Amino acid sequence: MPEFEDITGRYLTVGIGGEQHRLFIEEAGRGIPLLCLHTAGNDSRQFRHVMNDKDVTDRFRVVAFDMPYHGRSTPPDKWWLKKPRLTTKLYLEIIRAVWTALGLERPVVMGCSMGGAIVLKVAADYQNEIRGIVGLESSAHAPGRYNDFLHHPAIHGGELCASYTYGLNSPYSPEQSRRENWWYYSQSGPGVYQGDVHFYSNDWDARDDIKSIDTGRCKVALLTGEFDYSCTPAMTEQVAAAIKGSRYTMMKRMGHFPMIENYPDFRPYLLDALDHVAS
Amino acid sequence: MSEFPGASWLDRYVARVNADPELAVIGDWLTTTFTLTFGDARHAVVVDKGRIVKLIDSPRFDVRAPFGFRAPIEVWRKFLSADPPPLYHDFFAMLMRVPEFVIEGDSLVAMQNARALHRMMNIMRETGAPNA
Repeated sequence: MPEFEDITGRYLTVGIGGEQHRLFIEEAGRGIPLLCLHTAGNDSRQFRHVMNDKDVTDRFRVVAFDMPYHGRSTPPDKWWLKKPRLTTKLYLEIIRAVWTALGLERPVVMGCSMGGAIVLKVAADYQNEIRGIVGLESSAHAPGRYNDFLHHPAIHGGELCASYTYGLNSPYSPEQSRRENWWYYSQSGPGVYQGDVHFYSNDWDARDDIKSIDTGRCKVALLTGEFDYSCTPAMTEQVAAAIKGSRYTMMKRMGHFPMIENYPDFRPYLLDALDHVAS
Repeated sequence: MSEFPGASWLDRYVARVNADPELAVIGDWLTTTFTLTFGDARHAVVVDKGRIVKLIDSPRFDVRAPFGFRAPIEVWRKFLSADPPPLYHDFFAMLMRVPEFVIEGDSLVAMQNARALHRMMNIMRETGAPNA
């Protein structure tokens, strides 16, 4: 018998903002729903180690999906007539649409980078409907990553986006894992990463929103890598300081992509964070 | 004029670049000249298909270099150290977070070669700390 992994991938058409989106969704495990949000310009493959971890999947139904335009999700009709541009409003609609379509009850929502940003807004707006959030590399405001070269006809976008994000890994993370993430980045469609960074660096500002999060209703665990220079530990410390009762841990010798760049070292932090938000 | 990173380090760097198996795969289109400026000391790195064919110390104005990287020696020293501190571990990190590390000239040419150039900059770190 072939030794398949325990991950199952399927497609689901979801209405978002009046458009039909055929999304790729993969999942593993049973128990408390754990909805995972990938980083800008990437896709749900970043969570493959989480979905293959029995200590997680014995307690959680881990669900990860490719955002529209990303990975194996199909762009909506007439995609060729507009630039991919993610906004806070649209991002929240996408998450909400998937979560509702799947009927996830009181999920834990975990995201990294731009996903780690938007989970703060999810917590602020839906704190009565979720158990909590795990914010990986979470910032409430993260200017500085957007630039014109990320989508430019004279530059190979895949190679630039992958190289531009490669240094966000910690130099101490295993090279094979860092390179795997490089490969995923190189596969993004034209302008998709830039469109995500538009959200992350231009549109995103939740510095006021996060003050409304009540950790008595919605638990908040924040994990940021020491070598993350996009969302620095200091940026997450500011988030933690604004959310009373939140828990923040800096991950030593870790970078911006903990779940894919170095899962063995990330794992104890993750299990601890999941214990906290699921308690 | 500073000795950093020193002639022997530069020789080791060139040898390492030219023996690098990854650049042999991805370096075909990296044909350009760029400058590396360590404090006051400027060097032109002449690259042909991913191999360094000449290193010119203190290049005169007739050496045409579309782009280059410049930083104070203290910054380069952190970048080249065995245990670089956060923000100094990668040239893209320094471009974003270390204001003293600057890209000079036509950054479009640099970013057209981002993959091979990034590899070439990372080989600087793999060459080891100068004056070690």
